[in-house]
Amino acid sequence: MWPVWSQTNQTSNRLCSCFLKMACQGLQKGETLATLKKECESLKKKLEEDRGKLNDVELHQVAEKVEVVGALSIKTRRVLKGHTNKVLCMDWCKDKRRLVSSSQDGKVIVWDGFTLNKEHGMSMPTTWVMACAYAPSGCAVACGGLDNKCSVIPLSLDSNENCAAKKKTVAMHTNYISGCTFTNSDMQLLSCSGDGTSALWDVESGQLLQSFHGHTSDILSLDLAPSETGNTFVTGGCDKKANVWDMRSGQNIQSFECHESDINCVKYYPSGDAFASASDDATCRFFDLRADREVAVFQKDSIVFGASTVDFSLSGRLLFAGYNDYTINVWDVLKGTRISMMFGHENRVSRVRLSPDGTALCSASWDNTLRVSRSFPHE
Amino acid sequence: MSGKMCSSSNSIIQAQKLVDQLRVEANMERFKISLTAADLVQYCQEHRRSDPLLTGIAASSNPFKDKKTCVLL
Repeated sequence: MWPVWSQTNQTSNRLCSCFLKMACQGLQKGETLATLKKECESLKKKLEEDRGKLNDVELHQVAEKVEVVGALSIKTRRVLKGHTNKVLCMDWCKDKRRLVSSSQDGKVIVWDGFTLNKEHGMSMPTTWVMACAYAPSGCAVACGGLDNKCSVIPLSLDSNENCAAKKKTVAMHTNYISGCTFTNSDMQLLSCSGDGTSALWDVESGQLLQSFHGHTSDILSLDLAPSETGNTFVTGGCDKKANVWDMRSGQNIQSFECHESDINCVKYYPSGDAFASASDDATCRFFDLRADREVAVFQKDSIVFGASTVDFSLSGRLLFAGYNDYTINVWDVLKGTRISMMFGHENRVSRVRLSPDGTALCSASWDNTLRVSRSFPHE
Repeated sequence: MSGKMCSSSNSIIQAQKLVDQLRVEANMERFKISLTAADLVQYCQEHRRSDPLLTGIAASSNPFKDKKTCVLL
């Protein structure tokens, strides 16, 4: 509603009072903003104090009496060659032998980890397929990347059939897909994206069931809580925050801001009561969800390259972390010390994942290969 | 003038969201590390025997071990 300019005093008086009113409202809004900011500061302070009160002991102190882990001799048993560019992601099938991997070369490959046989090879209409996941049933895989979509591909028993033709788009974001996982069934898919949001989708209909907002920059990783602990998942991203979400309500229930740079990966501890993160700040950290704080930092002066991926061994005692200096460090979660190092990759390690029965570790790398390793039997 | 009003209502909405989020987090029930850490340690100890990478697994049951060649008698 534009004021009509007129020379009459009445109109100009009305205009004056109009602008005065707007100025007054501006003042009221200014006061509200100031009060909100004040409350924000006091709440942040309270959170810090409350969390500090619980810091009565360090994790490694509680673990003092626990016996030290003996030297591990983990050896590479299989090298999976086939991708023609960086391998960005991989996931194990529940059958403990098959794996799916995705690459910058635009391909998604399903491997038999024992025989090295490539069971399926699918070309995506995009390069940089940054995320892939195996469905719980073993009958499908999900993948996504620079196409901003996450698709589900049913795996045919007939190796001659072109699986990619049956690809179905499920998730749609407004930026790259950085991570995806099926929930407890083939029916639902969780995705996270460079657009700063994550979302829960119904696979059959492609319908958005819930979206999760809160990150202020790209999300780089997500992990679903182990099924016993209920419906939550954790995300980590470029805003240096790790957030825990309630899948049903969409609510951000806990937030941790301790890292000094991008969080590249987040992974739950097997009990679901804690999670670990890997960051460009060259550290991995361990967060206790019930104490609501960071309880360990896995770092060394000699480690200066970013950590890109983490996973726990079956008991949660070992943390395998892949770094941009091509190595994998194995940390003692309870004592906070490094147990051993794994070498072999000729470029950045992009993903490490334990097999479902905990017998093997698969590592994916920018050297275009995947390696499957396991420890020597102790005599 | 209207542009300024718009951005200040946006910042108010954002600030309100932040305060609401912090309130949710502040109301969370937390436990002392001495208790929660003890549970984490206990989980590790309870599951250590079934952790193949920690204890090593018998060569015969390991599917990834290289198979020896067959000898025909």
